[in-house]
Amino acid sequence: MDAKKNIPLIVGISIPILMILFVAASIYLPLLFMHTKPEFNFLYVTGDYLLGSQYSVENGKLVKHEFKDDEGRWPSIMRRRGDAKLFVHDVTKNESRQISFEEAQSLDLNSNIKSPDGFEIVHGSRGGGPWPFFGFSETDYNTVYIKGHNISRKLNVQQTERHFGDFHFLGWINN
Amino acid sequence: MEKEELLQQIRSFATQKLITKEEISLAYDEGSEHSKAWSFGRKLGIAQILYYVGGAIVFLGISIFVWQTWGTHGIVTKILATLGSGVAAYIVGVLFSRDEKLQTVGSAFYFVSALVMPIGLYVVFDNAGFDAGSYGTQSLISGILFATYLVSYLVFRKDVFTLFSIIFGTWFFFSFTDFIVGGRPHFSDLKFFEYRALAAGLTYILLGYSLAQDKKALAGFLYSFGILGFLGAAFALGGWLPDRNVFWELVFPGLAFGAILSSIYLKSRSFLVFGSLYLMGYILKITHEYFTSGLGWPFALVLAGLMLIVVGYISFYLNKKYISS
Repeated sequence: MDAKKNIPLIVGISIPILMILFVAASIYLPLLFMHTKPEFNFLYVTGDYLLGSQYSVENGKLVKHEFKDDEGRWPSIMRRRGDAKLFVHDVTKNESRQISFEEAQSLDLNSNIKSPDGFEIVHGSRGGGPWPFFGFSETDYNTVYIKGHNISRKLNVQQTERHFGDFHFLGWINN
Repeated sequence: MEKEELLQQIRSFATQKLITKEEISLAYDEGSEHSKAWSFGRKLGIAQILYYVGGAIVFLGISIFVWQTWGTHGIVTKILATLGSGVAAYIVGVLFSRDEKLQTVGSAFYFVSALVMPIGLYVVFDNAGFDAGSYGTQSLISGILFATYLVSYLVFRKDVFTLFSIIFGTWFFFSFTDFIVGGRPHFSDLKFFEYRALAAGLTYILLGYSLAQDKKALAGFLYSFGILGFLGAAFALGGWLPDRNVFWELVFPGLAFGAILSSIYLKSRSFLVFGSLYLMGYILKITHEYFTSGLGWPFALVLAGLMLIVVGYISFYLNKKYISS
């Protein structure tokens, strides 16, 4: 076969290969040349299943809300307040450390979605899109990413169970 | 004309440089194509259709057997029933294909193997502790199948392997890109799928073009799915109010007209049909989005209807003048 006849074949085969390379490059290259690195650690809670979170940030401080259900109207999963755990995530080392409520209360917090250096904490996607083969799709919602300045990086956060919404961001820790 | 007479004539033409080796070779290939026994170079007869229907029923039987007896059989039985059947069907296909008269039956067994082997590999990976539904495992399975059928094509040169390589290659492309991306928030699931469908559609069209001379039926299949995916993805990328994408909305009519005009050059009815249908869809969409508030819904409908008639007539005219003839 002459080269001219092969051009459509070569271009056709190259398109998916180039797209795979482009997708991989768009994910990994910005990480290599990242100019702005996240600086602010953050506080989060896991296993807090109450209707709405029992923890919130008010005036820069962590507050714990009391909840009474003497009549036992709510299902047990909603009342598992004792299982809630607080963590501080170190964005530089990408690791989490569990802390007590008293320790968390002493932190100076910023509950804005975006950190002062322009990053935010987001969940992964909920599904794989309209996948035509075998009906399989997987959700990445339990994976947590730090996103900003055109990059996103997976965070090694602690999660007590594989449960939707187990992770709750509470606030950025002011340095 | 006798054979010796014909050869003498060719020698004479060659001496006078009136004919080239390629022209003789092409004429030979065109003549011999009609007698080829492979399944994608000619129309399927009743017997061939029954072979493939039989193959699909065999696949169905194996699937039901696996489903019904999943909890009662051990790992070895499950693997033998699925992957074992797939490999056995493949070997039977190879054996049948060695006899020219049984080549189509051989292709039917290859068809069974291509249907059963993915299930077999799922069973293997599932029992090995992998999450069979994850994109990582899907990439492994589709990658193994893609490599298997690509190597089979390079060794046996059967068109049926080209088809399976393309199907499993497409599966690998989608699952592997999903695996790389994971759930990264920079990638919207739907948009990412649409861009990949656009790329896959374009690849199908180009592969179809490169195969159009030798493998017309396979090229037709690739053209149909290629243009369907390509225009479908471009149409979807345009989005809907309020999340429309002006770039793709502006580019789309050019692509649809391009497909309609290409149908003449490619002699492809699927380009004409899908190009026209998508153009009609685009007219309705644009009329609804932009003209209902200014012109009013009834007048916009009249305008859209007239434009659809024009597109329909052009499509009919092009088909009659350039494609059917």
